[in-house]
Amino acid sequence: MSVSSSRGAAARPNGAPQTKVCQFKLVLLGESAVGKSSLVLRFVKGQFHEYQESTIGAAFLTQTVCLDDTTVKFEIWDTAGQERYHSLAPMYYRGAQAAIVVYDITNQDTFGRAKNWVKELQRQASPSIVIALAGNKSDLAAKRMVETEEAQAYADENHLLFMETSAKTAVNVNDIFLAIANKLPKSESVGGGAAGGGRRLADGEPPRAGGCCK
Amino acid sequence: MDEEYDAIVLGTGLKECILSGMLSVSGKKVLHIDRNKYYGGESASITPLEELFSKFNAPAPDETYGRGRDWNVDLIPKFLMANGLLVKLLIHTGVTRYLEFKSVEGSYVYKGGKISKVPVDQKEALASDLMGMFEKRRFRNFLIYVQDFQPEDTKTWKDFDPSTNNMQGLYDKFGLDKNTQDFTGHALALYLDDNYLQQPAIQTIQRIKLYSDSLARYGKSPYLYPMYGLGELPQGFARLSAIYGGTYMLDKPIDEIVLGEGGKVVGVRSGNEIAKCKQVYCDPSYVPDRVRKKAQVIRCICLLDHPIANTKDALSTQIIIPQKQVGRHSDIYVSVVSYTHQVAAKGWFIAMVSTTVETSDPESEIKPGLDLLGPIRQKFVSVTDYFEPIDDGSQSQIFISESYDATTHFETTCLDVLKIYKRGTDEDFDFSKVKVELGEEDQ
Repeated sequence: MSVSSSRGAAARPNGAPQTKVCQFKLVLLGESAVGKSSLVLRFVKGQFHEYQESTIGAAFLTQTVCLDDTTVKFEIWDTAGQERYHSLAPMYYRGAQAAIVVYDITNQDTFGRAKNWVKELQRQASPSIVIALAGNKSDLAAKRMVETEEAQAYADENHLLFMETSAKTAVNVNDIFLAIANKLPKSESVGGGAAGGGRRLADGEPPRAGGCCK
Repeated sequence: MDEEYDAIVLGTGLKECILSGMLSVSGKKVLHIDRNKYYGGESASITPLEELFSKFNAPAPDETYGRGRDWNVDLIPKFLMANGLLVKLLIHTGVTRYLEFKSVEGSYVYKGGKISKVPVDQKEALASDLMGMFEKRRFRNFLIYVQDFQPEDTKTWKDFDPSTNNMQGLYDKFGLDKNTQDFTGHALALYLDDNYLQQPAIQTIQRIKLYSDSLARYGKSPYLYPMYGLGELPQGFARLSAIYGGTYMLDKPIDEIVLGEGGKVVGVRSGNEIAKCKQVYCDPSYVPDRVRKKAQVIRCICLLDHPIANTKDALSTQIIIPQKQVGRHSDIYVSVVSYTHQVAAKGWFIAMVSTTVETSDPESEIKPGLDLLGPIRQKFVSVTDYFEPIDDGSQSQIFISESYDATTHFETTCLDVLKIYKRGTDEDFDFSKVKVELGEEDQ
């Protein structure tokens, strides 16, 4: 997958008035401690903490990616630790248009679990979901246990986007989100959060317009 | 599991999930367990459709029902009041962003064998066949009184003290006839029976205000319904709890609630594992020896391939059959949702008829409701006991929720939750604890 825009383009909305804005729900999956939250924090806030606590508090973040004619707004859902005892609620997958399945390149088990998450997505999520596989902690190449070729072959077989990433050094972090943004369909009929056609509730706020590209 | 927690919550019904969320947000270390492998307990929405049929031992649905996975069928029918407590909880905790809602299209009330729309504005009220012209004028004066009423401003009371005078007295003051009283008490104030007539009028005034404030929010009716069914609500609050550090285990049988000195809870056992805790919060099904039966509720799930007659083909609606109209003590409720809420396959409707059981033949009690539905493709009837705890939990530190009652909305559900939270923590829930942190998290 080639990424056309520069890395910087993924950082902030550029405020260009003519571009259409599409909103997508993106979910993260993967074993505990593979770096799911760190990837998001790097992508959304440009931060990295060596000893990132288990996810508490920050489980719903948004970030915008600008493509040539479209602004893609990701509504990013983290697992909030509910993956630990396999107690992720169906709500988590509901209406997700993109997913990043994360494993740790220094831990073979997490790659095996990643394959199970992909199966789970194929079973539970929308058939049109865009799935990316992220081999995280690529900065720890010396301790590598999962070969790039093996993961690439698996990704090709299952039509997944694939990149090795490092939340620590930021390598490929923006790129993987950008690749997903490029692959997502930007037609009128898709997008718009959970895409169920309902409205969100808010204090005194008028009903939210449904659908994509408002 | 072999750790120590401030609180262990058993069951993932809506009440337990809200409690779990509030406890986690308040900094408590929470373990939340369900014996089932799915979220929601009694407040789950059953999916796929095959699961619902097998739950009621019915032969599998044929292909006319469409894809089984398009169905999410609630076991307990309820709507949210748009300005009610549950919506406040959803907004203040930020859980609302995990959910989408639709307004219920209309509310109807049964009178003299047919149904009439509950008017939502002056125009509808003038055209309504619910009351005659002179009665309409009296009713209008009554509504204006309620609307202008301020609890702190005695001038607005108009020489009627609603905390010492009962509701019957207020009806009499405005000269409202029995039919209008019926309509007001049951379709607007949403009382299940007529006991409210002898209670202080202030309670009814506040309930009518809740109705009209809810109506004012989205217009068509005061009710909201979540996309994909009510089962999304417990999942949303469970996620809130998890975000604040709550640990979740599904498919985990509970073998014993372990008691220590003075009958105070010290832990929960599953197989050989014991999780220690200071408190347990649970639904009645986890503590059969600590609850008593209060009443029974009958609920009948009806699958229809058409809308309800005389509702302008509404894709969602509520019909209230006031008790007096059919010679009962408690109202019969009919609630209808459909494919537009992603709870049924294209073209299908789910109607639920429910009431508090009064006789030994509950199925015949709901007949007036069933008769409004037209041809019913499939019917699932359940009669469930309604339990309440035998004590307030202060001794044992086991705090038990009441079963879900027959009311059509979540007001009593939320009141029970807030009451339990206060019993367990000795304080009212501080909403500001969530707002601040979510503000930082959400850009």
